Amino acid sequence: MHALEVKDLSRSFRKFKIGPLNLTVEQGSITGLVGANGSGKTTFFRLLMKVLKKDSGQGKVFGKDWSKNEDEWKKQVGYAGELLSGYHFLTIRKLAKLISRWYPAWDHEQFEQLSRRYDIDLDEKYEKCSKGTKKKIDFILSLCHHPSLLLLDEPTAGVDIVSRRKMKEDILTFMEHEEKSVILATHTIDEVHQLCDEIKVLESGKIVHSFNKDDIYESWARIWVSELSDNLKHHPNVLKLETSPPQIVTNHRASIEAVLQTENLTVYQIHRLSLEEVLEYLIDYKKNAL
Amino acid sequence: MRIPIQVSNESREPIYYQVETQIKTLIVGGKLPPGTPLPSIRALASDLGCSVITTRRAYQNLEMNGFIQTIQGKGTFVREIKNNQISQSRQQILHDAFEKVVQQGKQMGCSSEELNVIFSNIVNKTFNNGGL
Repeated sequence: MHALEVKDLSRSFRKFKIGPLNLTVEQGSITGLVGANGSGKTTFFRLLMKVLKKDSGQGKVFGKDWSKNEDEWKKQVGYAGELLSGYHFLTIRKLAKLISRWYPAWDHEQFEQLSRRYDIDLDEKYEKCSKGTKKKIDFILSLCHHPSLLLLDEPTAGVDIVSRRKMKEDILTFMEHEEKSVILATHTIDEVHQLCDEIKVLESGKIVHSFNKDDIYESWARIWVSELSDNLKHHPNVLKLETSPPQIVTNHRASIEAVLQTENLTVYQIHRLSLEEVLEYLIDYKKNAL
Repeated sequence: MRIPIQVSNESREPIYYQVETQIKTLIVGGKLPPGTPLPSIRALASDLGCSVITTRRAYQNLEMNGFIQTIQGKGTFVREIKNNQISQSRQQILHDAFEKVVQQGKQMGCSSEELNVIFSNIVNKTFNNGGL
């Protein structure tokens, strides 16, 4: 069973259109959502959680119709986003009490344990907390009803280094149960590197790339060669050429190796590309800048 | 719990195979004695920066070949392995390592004589120093 299936989800705004989005999230996997600022990551979460209304689209959460059964599937979903707007004047303790009433499975012990772990002052008002502390509180509150699917919207933005490490640990612990899943929107390469299995690249409201992380390592490479032939220069899978020393960057190693072999060119060295380099090729930052 | 393995940036081998071979080497070499707990597939994937699909595949292969054992609810552990299995794996691992070096030599234009000379020099040097 899929944790999540989304079909043709879309919504138009005055200046921005998201979708149609199609994606599935396997149980037991962490999906990374990357893309430039304004590419639609947060809007996607808001549509999914019905904070925003869709124009069209369907979905299933753990096999159940997403457009119906809302109360039921929401119990299985933890969303660290802006679900609490309107109640920011409350203290953390009161916020937790309010939220706990929505969830029969609320684990107060876990809430207290996590609050200690992240050094949260429960008597502080949410609105008085710093950006990073708010992020930590959102994260804690998304976890305490033992959800099966976690939606994390830049959970570590503004969070200190030690708490970031703890959040990474807690996401990994959460994932130790094989049926759990996470969708993680992030700008942090480390998080994609250490946490994600699948990666989706969002651009102007659309998913423009979607792949398993290991496919990147297998197919993207920098290859140093004896000579840059015309066939290499014009090959669709050659993304970049450099002349001294001659080298190419490719997103499809196998087809380039075939060309090299037929043309009898010598390969001096092949390096896999780092995730950071690959994502810079895949995320078109300029297009969003306008 | 961390085990000393890493994914090579330069290797042509798929990641699951690198992981599998390195764990096998640690087990056969006695660095991971029987009963040693291994990291979960999720923790190992996080350490190596790969997906769980890859670490799961490596563990499945190791389990199938009798090197490790997963006990439901407890984790994955190194198994007691037989002597003939040790010598077989040792030969396989060494064979692969030599093959890589020989191919690298050939790529650089070395003749088989040259390679043989280098090889026997290294063997002599290593074993005449009392095996240190």
